[in-house]
Amino acid sequence: MKWGGMLVDSLAQLLERDEREAVLGDMAETGESTRQAVWNVCGLLLRRQGAHWNSWRPWIAAFGIAFPFSFPLMGFSVSLGLMSLQVVDPATRQMTNLDVSLLLSKFLLLTAWSWTGGFVMGSVSRRTLWVSALLSLLPCCFCLARFRIEDLSRFCLLLFLLPAIQGVHQGLRMIRLTLGSAMLLAWATILLTVLLWIRTGPSILNLALSWPAWYLVATASTKRRTRGQYGA
Amino acid sequence: MLGEFEYLLITAAAGLGDEGYGAAIRQEIETVTGRKCSIGALYTTIDRLETKGFLKTWMGDATPQRGGRAKRMVRVTPQGIRAARDFYETVARASRGASWAAHHWSQL
Repeated sequence: MKWGGMLVDSLAQLLERDEREAVLGDMAETGESTRQAVWNVCGLLLRRQGAHWNSWRPWIAAFGIAFPFSFPLMGFSVSLGLMSLQVVDPATRQMTNLDVSLLLSKFLLLTAWSWTGGFVMGSVSRRTLWVSALLSLLPCCFCLARFRIEDLSRFCLLLFLLPAIQGVHQGLRMIRLTLGSAMLLAWATILLTVLLWIRTGPSILNLALSWPAWYLVATASTKRRTRGQYGA
Repeated sequence: MLGEFEYLLITAAAGLGDEGYGAAIRQEIETVTGRKCSIGALYTTIDRLETKGFLKTWMGDATPQRGGRAKRMVRVTPQGIRAARDFYETVARASRGASWAAHHWSQL
């Protein structure tokens, strides 16, 4: 197969199966040139992607969670990494008198914020998920390139990614949580936030990171589990 | 009310009857208008019209001249026919007295 044909086929992979069949078949039937075929497939892809953005959902996922959450979650990840370095004294190799409960609550909070953010991202806008993922990864790359803390691996910045990816995965599968699970998650997040405030002082940013948990409560299913529905 | 391209698409699909599918409709629109019709415009409009209930589509058989790929068959629904008729009547009413339509009306 020629390069042009391979390019058209590769681009067409981004279309849904039936549409890909119809479009490639139509172009084969009318004998489109490679240039026209690339132009046509790209045009259709752009129109399809553009149509998704008529809804509020991709905007919320991309600019309400993915991009703005990346910076504070990276900051929180680094803070957690720095704190974990203080658990053991490197000189004596013994446990220091660090408040382990604070470390644990920070870890749980980071997990909860990342997971709920990822879940909402995955559930509200699966078809534009690649844009949200890109908007989340761009700040990560920016910060990774500028990371300058001795004794701490730069990959500590990405501690939040694992629960976030798990959240996205669950969000794609389940769309919404049951009311009980969502309430439990939201109240646990608030409780952990308040505990953190008591020790380190209040921060409105911490509260802002909790909104996906409350969104999950607002959209929770009263049925046991909802599967197989599609977001925008 | 339908848009211009939506009307052209419904008219082409209605004219093709049971033989209506993507490439044939595209060809018909290009012949009638003398303009290129992009596949993107065609398929996004087909989807929009199907959502409105004006078209019904389904995957047809694969043929050798299409590289063994299936056709997306298109049929105009009764609602689609009504919408096209409304569009046509509106344009015809609006065009009465227009200088460019005078020749046409004098022939009717």
